[in-house]
Amino acid sequence: MEKISCKIKRFNGSEAWYQEYEVPYEKGKTILWLLTTIREEQDPTLNFTSACRHAICGSCAVRINGNAFLACNTPLDEVIETFDTMTLTFEPLQNFEVVKDLVIVWEPKMEKMKKVKPWLEPTANGSKETGFLQTEEEFHQIAAPTDCILCGVCASECNQLTVNQDGYLEPFILNRAYRFAVDSRDGSPEEHLRPVLENELWKCLHCMQCVSKCPKSIPLTDEIAYLRSETMKMGEMNNQGAKHAYAFHDDVKKKGRLNETMLPIKTDGLVHTAMTKVPFALRMIKKGKINPFHFPKEVEGIAGVRALYEYAKEVKD
Amino acid sequence: MLAFDVVVVGAGGAGMMAALSASEGKDLNVAVISKVFPTRSHTGAAQGGINAAMRNRDNTDSTEKHFRDTVKGSDFLADQDAVEFFTSKMPSVIAELDYYGVPFSRDQNGRIAQRPFGGASSPRTCYSADKTGHVILHALYEQCLKNNVQFLNEWFLLSTVVEDGKLEGLVAMDIRSGKIHPIQTKSVVIASGGFGRIYWSRTTNAINMTGDGTAACFEAGIPLKDPEFVQFHPTGLANTGILLSEACRGEGGYLVNKDGERFMKRYAPEKMELGPRDLVSRSIETEIREGRGFGEGMTSYVLMDLRHLGEQKIMERLPQVRELAMEFEGVDIIKEPVPIRPSCHYMMGGIHVTDHETCSTPIDGIHAAGECCSVSIHGANRLGGNSVADVVFYGKYAGLGAKASAKRRQLGNAQRLAGETAKWEQEFQRIREKQSGISMFDIRNRLAETMWYNVGIFRTEQDMKKAYDTINQLINEYEDAYAGDPAEKYNMAFINYVELGNMLKLAKAITLGAIHRKESRGSHSRADYPARDDANFLRHTLVYKDGENYRHEYLPVTITKYQPEERKY
Repeated sequence: MEKISCKIKRFNGSEAWYQEYEVPYEKGKTILWLLTTIREEQDPTLNFTSACRHAICGSCAVRINGNAFLACNTPLDEVIETFDTMTLTFEPLQNFEVVKDLVIVWEPKMEKMKKVKPWLEPTANGSKETGFLQTEEEFHQIAAPTDCILCGVCASECNQLTVNQDGYLEPFILNRAYRFAVDSRDGSPEEHLRPVLENELWKCLHCMQCVSKCPKSIPLTDEIAYLRSETMKMGEMNNQGAKHAYAFHDDVKKKGRLNETMLPIKTDGLVHTAMTKVPFALRMIKKGKINPFHFPKEVEGIAGVRALYEYAKEVKD
Repeated sequence: MLAFDVVVVGAGGAGMMAALSASEGKDLNVAVISKVFPTRSHTGAAQGGINAAMRNRDNTDSTEKHFRDTVKGSDFLADQDAVEFFTSKMPSVIAELDYYGVPFSRDQNGRIAQRPFGGASSPRTCYSADKTGHVILHALYEQCLKNNVQFLNEWFLLSTVVEDGKLEGLVAMDIRSGKIHPIQTKSVVIASGGFGRIYWSRTTNAINMTGDGTAACFEAGIPLKDPEFVQFHPTGLANTGILLSEACRGEGGYLVNKDGERFMKRYAPEKMELGPRDLVSRSIETEIREGRGFGEGMTSYVLMDLRHLGEQKIMERLPQVRELAMEFEGVDIIKEPVPIRPSCHYMMGGIHVTDHETCSTPIDGIHAAGECCSVSIHGANRLGGNSVADVVFYGKYAGLGAKASAKRRQLGNAQRLAGETAKWEQEFQRIREKQSGISMFDIRNRLAETMWYNVGIFRTEQDMKKAYDTINQLINEYEDAYAGDPAEKYNMAFINYVELGNMLKLAKAITLGAIHRKESRGSHSRADYPARDDANFLRHTLVYKDGENYRHEYLPVTITKYQPEERKY
């Protein structure tokens, strides 16, 4: 009979090791079934968390072969097919403190989440006695972000967070800020937006890990784009991120392509660029990566590019 | 020693509402202990909605009609003063939730949308697509963060310590450290949820719904009210028992047998699929017993057909249902009917609440709210959409009740608490050191099997006595149960061991109550006593545990407006 070999990262509070288990393969099962079978039939000392077993409580996310999944709704067959192997390595989510085996701690994340005021700051249009009126359209704006089950998959896979735990916010925290910033019943969107900006909002790497692995398909990267543009509307233009975005915007509009020599100057200013980027630029020139005397001309079809800008503006208005 | 004014046990809808109302004004020291991180609580699994006569969709609806429907749904076993208190104030609680930021689905006028639900005479179930419990749970958690409510997460209740009929405090384990703590407190709100896991694999409940708070109160001398009333939800997925929301029937789903017949016409000719849960569950099981279902034995099922609703309505109103059916049954409800069968869903019975305005119990200082207790507003059968309503509503009033108790009471006796703590420390030590014994998972599975077959949807004296004997046997075996983890820190095997002990006690109380109720009422359906018997059983059962001795007595039902009549749909 076919067997699945599982290598599970164990941790007892002081030591960590990998332990191997073999489970007879069964068709049509879930990852949670696999973990539960190991625990109940082979090793009751193995710990992981799970509760609802239908993808609403968010307890059971783990990493398998270096990728985060919600255990309860992930078909075992799909994982075997995706990784093309019967050997699965289980680890706790990344970017969380581990308490035991696959069990992680959430409280520090909630303390961090408090920064964005993750609660409704009600407008004067409603009251505790009467509630609010809200249109169907306004409800639809908060429908997807309130699908978040706090499973932690996005935070585990976020590449910025992996190198910048103190500075950057977990994608689920950005989602929570977004959820209140767009709620028609919330009277203080800036209260949610400003802390997001102050916590390195522009550092998102666009690696798309969060959005592609979210078990609830929440459009996290679209939300981050929205948060950025809202902070610019608040007048927050004088920061690296906004200036970098405008450098792209303006160059492409003018010439249809980037001026890479000017990009760092537009983003960081002449003095800062001169002080920090000159040796780097010299090395790039030496290797033939950039030509400082090349000023890009307008591309062919620049009229079309500008028409696209006009069209985008119209659509947005 | 830890000391608080109020301790709430459980961080679901009822627990967090209780914590919010008890801590309002910030004059009391309130803590919530929960065996899981708060947003993992089972309130989040509630899908279809929350009942309140808002009159947004039907202006002929009224709190009076909600009152009447709930009493009729309960098969007249609900206490009518409690139901009226509940239905009359529910609309204001919905407004409060709206103000807390719950994202309710809306109608064309921007008011909270409402849908029809089983057993309701008007469409009064407010909802957020099909994830109503989830969004309410998260909004309450957000309010708790805003108000700096103290949580002790992954703390497990071991005992409620009572002396001379009064609360002294609690004993609980901090799972992460493995330390067992005495907790002094002036009052307590038990909000630990239901215990459907006594049916282990044939339940819609999360794996940790083991009735720890109910069992602790039962052990401390509080009786269980009406434990024999167990609701089986008609539409569990056939393979896993996972819930498909009542919204499926609310939005117009059909139930079909293997002859392609909408069989509900035989059982509820007027309401059809929108009959109440007990009736629809029995109808499905009757179809299966009489050979009109699909499959065989434990794998039998009927079909629910939603195709005629069309893709757009399904995607808009039942997106989670569609995902669940695809992920756990491999069926796209837009294209195919989905196999379903009843699954244990809800406990109408629980901790005996004696005052519906404060949610107090016979023990001074202990209050209770939600599925762990019985007020009773659900009587012999709960209506869909009344449980999330119950948890937020009575959570609030239990919190206020506990606040008043705390202001009146003193901290308990530390010595008595120390004794109980030492007892648990010894027990923990014994289980950690135990090298062999009977597998606790095996005991758990045999409990579930005897409950499903003998104390399930259809009951007889003979079957239930068999179950009672089996449970006694399992209680004996439990003394030699083997958990298998010697660790001190995060020893979930020990927690599962204690949970199993709780389930055995509760299952025995359920079976005892069921054997003695020689009638059929609501969810309690007896083949040997098929009729309702108001002369003898229009009464609440109270089951007591005195040491190892279980006994029962009865308590009159409060009837204010609606005299019992035949329940037809």
